[in-house]
Amino acid sequence: MHIICCVKQVPDPETPASQFKVDEATKKVLPVPGIDPVADEYAILGVEAALRIREALGEAKITVLCLGPEAARDAVKKALAMGADEGIQLTDGAFEGGDSYATARALAAAIKKLEPFDLVLCGRQAPDWDVGVTPSIIADVLGLPCVTRASEVKVSDGTLQVERVLLDGFETVETSLPAVVSVSNELGEPRYPQLREIMAAAKKPVAVWSAADLGVDASQVGAAGSLLSLDRLYVPVHEAKCEFIEAETPEEAAETLATTLREAKLI
Amino acid sequence: MAPSVQFPGNIFFYLILVSGLVFFAYTFYVRVILLLVGKPDWRFDRLWERTVSFVPLVLAIWRVIRPRYWYSGILHLAIFWGFLTFQVNTINFFLEGFHENAAILSWAEGVYTAYFPLMQLFEVLVLVGVVMAVARRQIVKPPRLSLNWDAYLILGFIALLMVTDLFATGFSIAIHPFPDHGRAFISNAIAEGVEGTDIEVLKAWHTTFWYLHLLTFMGFLIWVPYSKHLHVFTAAPNVFLRRLQPTGVLQPIPDLETQEVFGVGRIQDFTWRQLLDGYTCTECGRCQEACPAYNTEKELSPKEIAHQMRQQLLVNASDLLPIPVLNINVTGERGVPLTEAMGFDPIWDCLTCGACQYECPVFVEHIQEIIDVRRYFVMDEARMPETAQATLMQLEQRGHPWRGTPLGRTSWIEEMGDVPMFDGSQEYLFWVGCTGALSERNVLTTKAIARLLNQAGVSYGVLGAEETCCGDPARRLGNEYLFMLQAQQNIELFNTKGVKKIITSCPHGFNAFKNEYPQFDGHFEVIHHADLFARLVKEGRLKPQETLAQKITYHDSCYLGRHNNLYEAPRHILASLPGTHPVEMPRSRAQSFCCGAGGGHMWMEESKGKRVNNERTEEATATGAEIVATACPLCLQMFEDGIGAVPEAAEREMKVYDVAELLDMAVSPAPAVAEEAKADASQDQAAESSE
Repeated sequence: MHIICCVKQVPDPETPASQFKVDEATKKVLPVPGIDPVADEYAILGVEAALRIREALGEAKITVLCLGPEAARDAVKKALAMGADEGIQLTDGAFEGGDSYATARALAAAIKKLEPFDLVLCGRQAPDWDVGVTPSIIADVLGLPCVTRASEVKVSDGTLQVERVLLDGFETVETSLPAVVSVSNELGEPRYPQLREIMAAAKKPVAVWSAADLGVDASQVGAAGSLLSLDRLYVPVHEAKCEFIEAETPEEAAETLATTLREAKLI
Repeated sequence: MAPSVQFPGNIFFYLILVSGLVFFAYTFYVRVILLLVGKPDWRFDRLWERTVSFVPLVLAIWRVIRPRYWYSGILHLAIFWGFLTFQVNTINFFLEGFHENAAILSWAEGVYTAYFPLMQLFEVLVLVGVVMAVARRQIVKPPRLSLNWDAYLILGFIALLMVTDLFATGFSIAIHPFPDHGRAFISNAIAEGVEGTDIEVLKAWHTTFWYLHLLTFMGFLIWVPYSKHLHVFTAAPNVFLRRLQPTGVLQPIPDLETQEVFGVGRIQDFTWRQLLDGYTCTECGRCQEACPAYNTEKELSPKEIAHQMRQQLLVNASDLLPIPVLNINVTGERGVPLTEAMGFDPIWDCLTCGACQYECPVFVEHIQEIIDVRRYFVMDEARMPETAQATLMQLEQRGHPWRGTPLGRTSWIEEMGDVPMFDGSQEYLFWVGCTGALSERNVLTTKAIARLLNQAGVSYGVLGAEETCCGDPARRLGNEYLFMLQAQQNIELFNTKGVKKIITSCPHGFNAFKNEYPQFDGHFEVIHHADLFARLVKEGRLKPQETLAQKITYHDSCYLGRHNNLYEAPRHILASLPGTHPVEMPRSRAQSFCCGAGGGHMWMEESKGKRVNNERTEEATATGAEIVATACPLCLQMFEDGIGAVPEAAEREMKVYDVAELLDMAVSPAPAVAEEAKADASQDQAAESSE
């Protein structure tokens, strides 16, 4: 069993709103001093799902795949510390600035290069752009079945059983392998790595592949290969006003409140 | 005139003596080599200091006779000093057993009889002590004591030793009065009481008491190592070999990367000196009585930690040693993992406040032992409460424990302006700390500190976005590896920036920088803001003028007070504020009661029992104070929560402030009031955005 987990390094989604800034001219998110990027937690849950499958089956090779700059190594290391076996980092100027489509194409090429594989696990959506279509496009490019928003992933007798999250409940689907699955937070908590594993992770191999290594044309990936173009990037402004209703008695206050709400056409 | 010098008495004497000594030697040998299964632990530094402090701590048993425990103090003094005095008698007794002429009474009669009055007085005092002890166990029954038969057995032995000696000496005088026998005033009275009795009857009584004394002595010697009264042998070395550093210091794991086991997962992972704690604990329960976790219905009892160490060591002794081990009076379960014997919840309940260690008369080092097991849970098994795990992950990922904070490290600087950045030219680095920068309430304190530093013209700078976690929460939550990385990173940063002196506002960072960074070769002069401001007030560089006219009670932070001995500076600041009336809580200074935030618990869920901060807030409320003053951002947070949760505190609108905020109000009232208004406004905003 060979499982490939796609992980992504993203700007910290918990960056305080007051600190979050974008450069509207270059249409780029500005890094915040003192706040480092983090691994996408959904993607880390994909690693957790892979580890649970390995525990259930007794053995499986888990490869971590990450497209991003050199600094994205931290996300790969985190997955390796949790128990993944080896890491592949796709780092090349040509990959930069890609939309979901261009990124999925680069990842699919790397996955193809990693054949044979049985399962590709991704996070349901990364918190930077929140698009959530990369797993489906990977499956499309590779011509594989795709199950999104998994809350439980199991492999038995060479088939895949996935419980997936719907708006109003859960459904369980079964499909053949290989397949692409995206994982949702309903899967649970990722494990805390043992120190032994953290130290072992430092010795696990991480290969760095460029566009040329994948045999893809630079025009097919990154900004050049993107279908989307960004029109404007800005931080929306929320305005809020607070008014305290003061009165002698609670009854009076309630009456004033009701009147105010009615005047505002809220009730 | 001992009954053992002729046949068949000599046979009995030597038989009892030799078999008793052999038995004792075997037990003692087992106890000693069992200690050596533990890890090495160098405790032989600063020998002069250890020797000097031996007098008050061991000979005068200072920690046993603290006023709060005057009753057990008195009974211990009586028994301990009585026993020491009595040992001359024991030597005489055995010498006499070998040969009459060998007895001290024979060859140094004048000296020995001169010693008699003192000795007999102490024998009575020992008996008084025993009666007091029995009364306490029978009538008072303090909940901190483990009431079991072992204690009565020991007390019985002690009493019997005294009684048999008094009577044996008494009958000896009746048979053969020695010169100045009147000096043995009690035995002499016994002799007078039996005057006129037939000499053979007297001899028979003498023989009986003499052998009873011998048997009692050997019985006591044999039993002690099997009882919790082993402390009569181990307390002195345990105290002598105590850690001389402040109690807030945790020890690093040497060569962490190459360890087979991280922390303590098996009894032999403790150091030999920690195992000695297990032997030495007398289960007096003073630790338990002071423990904030135990007192708020958590599962931890520090007494039980020491007790389990002893039980686990002894019950598994046969597996640890190549020789057969006799186990008597051992209740532990053999072969269970140490983590199970200690218990998951108790280990995680500890607030590392150090109340237990302050109270312990024999210097048991609970905190390190608990954290050692925590280290195993975290680093070896990755098993911990959910909220502890979330905190550690947060620390790893973001370098601070305040998940979801709306503030950045530099937010307060942007709001305040006029804050110099540290560039190596200033005297002090003002280390703001995670809580000081990232918690909205604590930012008010941080700004007050900066204003006061500006006002007093202190040369300082801050690191702004370059600040990260000091590492204290990671270390107390058992992730020594993470602490090590954070400490090394900060030390490198400080050295690169040319930092020599550091002002901290958080006692946890204070403790880490001052006492723990030297373990990683980081040596800085560290001062807490309360200390610095007390000094500046004294020097007249800060002049509190505005009258606050409030009744204030000061809450001692564990890491400032008990762990670092800083009790007076914050009180000096409060005393300098015009019109304030300082009042003390019943538990203050070294006996302060933790706010509930220590040991990483600031960020952990507290679901069992009463909340520690509510308990402490109630205590503060009961003083009638209008303001609680603290010098710790975590205590401040805990009181903010506590005041909201304790009805009386909320009704009275009790307030909590850092001493720096109060000083700031008195020194420069205008900005402080402006800050208050701003805080109210931001609270309104927060309330509104959550609506």
